[in-house]
Amino acid sequence: MSEETAKLLVVRDLTTTFATLGGPLPAVAGVSFDLNKNETLGIVGESGSGKTVLSRTIMGLQQRTNVTVTGSVLLNGHEMVGASEKEKRTLWGTEVAMVFQDPMTSLNPVMRVGKQIDETLRVRLGMSRADAKVRAIELLELVGIPSPQRRYGAFPGQLSGGMRQRVVIATALACTPKLLLADEPTTGLDVTIQAQILNLIDQLKEQLHMSVILVTHDLGVVATRTSKIVVMYAGRIVEMGSTREVFANHRMPYTRALLDSSPKITNPSHTRLTTIPGRPPNLLQLSDGCSFAPRCAYATERCRAERPELTPASEAGHFFACWNPLTGAREVAAS
Amino acid sequence: MSDNFDHAIVAEFAHPHLERPEEREPLGVLFWICVGWIALNLFGAIFANVLPLQNPLYQNYTLINAGPSLHHLFGTDDIGRDIFSRVVYGSRISITAGVGAMTIGFGIGAPLGMLTAYRRGRFDTMVTTVMYALLAFPGIVATIAVLSFWVPRDLFKIIVVIGVASIPIVYRIIRAATLSVASRDFVVAAKVQGASDRRILFKELLPNVAPILISFLLIGIATVVTLEGALAFLGLSVNPPTPSWGNMINEARTVMAQNPWLVIFPSLALCLFLLSLNFIGDRLRTHYDFAEVKL
Repeated sequence: MSEETAKLLVVRDLTTTFATLGGPLPAVAGVSFDLNKNETLGIVGESGSGKTVLSRTIMGLQQRTNVTVTGSVLLNGHEMVGASEKEKRTLWGTEVAMVFQDPMTSLNPVMRVGKQIDETLRVRLGMSRADAKVRAIELLELVGIPSPQRRYGAFPGQLSGGMRQRVVIATALACTPKLLLADEPTTGLDVTIQAQILNLIDQLKEQLHMSVILVTHDLGVVATRTSKIVVMYAGRIVEMGSTREVFANHRMPYTRALLDSSPKITNPSHTRLTTIPGRPPNLLQLSDGCSFAPRCAYATERCRAERPELTPASEAGHFFACWNPLTGAREVAAS
Repeated sequence: MSDNFDHAIVAEFAHPHLERPEEREPLGVLFWICVGWIALNLFGAIFANVLPLQNPLYQNYTLINAGPSLHHLFGTDDIGRDIFSRVVYGSRISITAGVGAMTIGFGIGAPLGMLTAYRRGRFDTMVTTVMYALLAFPGIVATIAVLSFWVPRDLFKIIVVIGVASIPIVYRIIRAATLSVASRDFVVAAKVQGASDRRILFKELLPNVAPILISFLLIGIATVVTLEGALAFLGLSVNPPTPSWGNMINEARTVMAQNPWLVIFPSLALCLFLLSLNFIGDRLRTHYDFAEVKL
């Protein structure tokens, strides 16, 4: 059972359904995956694929009404699905913390940044005012903010976007969480700053022995920084496996389409970006078949009528959901 | 794919020197003049009976409808009472009504609005429906109706009636202000750091709502002072001979042709008080609105 104990997060058959005026909307449907300690998992998919809802469901952050969550999220032995606010409050910060998309809105504009960090330290860890201040300055230094003593007293509006995201990360790290959920942590930032922030998260993960879930639509982001990738489409996992496998040996046409539509530095300049034709499906009117079928070049009658389940590929831990899988590089070599 | 980022080079471009200074436009001379004026009014209202003022009820029949003079700064009215003294004493009633009613209105409406905006759900739907139903009923009609039957009228009853009538309005404004803040990520961020609801309400939401709350409170006080004036004009405020700005104007109405000072001075006092409050409220709102502007 040594493998079991190494697992920090076990998600099983997780479904999040919103009750809307148009009927039930399954934003996340039957998602299962594991995350080991000190591992980085990338969740990729286009807008509306359910990435954000999935990460919020893992956090246990749902609206109070109109949403049903079934399945199981086992975080370091604690069940998050159905846990009360009070139970979750004891897990938030120490077991799992979150970095939000937009550093412009995830800091309180009228509170000094240092205060936002030491609030957490004092409330959660019971530190004294003086200790909390020392620790907050340490954290600011840890996330690479120059002259942290001075920045401690700054308001968020006085900091640049990259600096703010560093502060957000420092806040998230205040109680040394075991899992850091980063929901598109670089969307609001310049490209150069994006790389800095991602590198910072990577480096902190090593330093603090955390696990990280990186939610993004940018395959370039997950390529170098994750060990495992989950590809989502219309609320379901359509392919998952080690980063290497998914990049080199993907079987699901959607993964291929995603890879094809990211820019490559080896392309000559002015190469037109490939796009995926069509649009993500309306989750209120899903067909019985594969959700990607209407946009897929390889779709057959069966794809439209019957939904493919996740099936194991040749490498352990690599799964895909497709009736007409692409021939991966490994299969080509074998034949 | 993995070579898309050259981290070492990228890291060289860190620009931590971009920092905006903590700058804010000064509030301005006019703002401080208004503050001074309000302070003077408050001072007069609080210390009216200690200050060397003439008895506001003393009727000097040898000197009626006199114009402003050294002895009677604002002159005297049609039964020989000192107008200056009455204006100062009148501010007591008007200001107490404004502050008192808004204490009730904000004391109940503001916490309720913040709470429902933060909690949402069924409780919010229920309270909001009730408040909107109350809003649909014309407040001035309700106020007049209640004050006509609830006799004998005194300042306390007027404050209670206006205060209660203002709750739905305060509720709606504070709820809307809180809603726009409560949906921001930093509230969720505080929550997932383990902050309790009470902490989020007081430490995260309140400071963000405070500028709106304060400016609306000042404007609210001004509105109630006017409303008291309107009620007094209809004879529904404190009973004569107790002066309030409103009932002074009301009484002066009949002798306006003989002695215009009688209507001019209380009106001027009312007008300047309201103008100052509104200006302060407005200036404060723009001054502290950096939540929107600077982000």
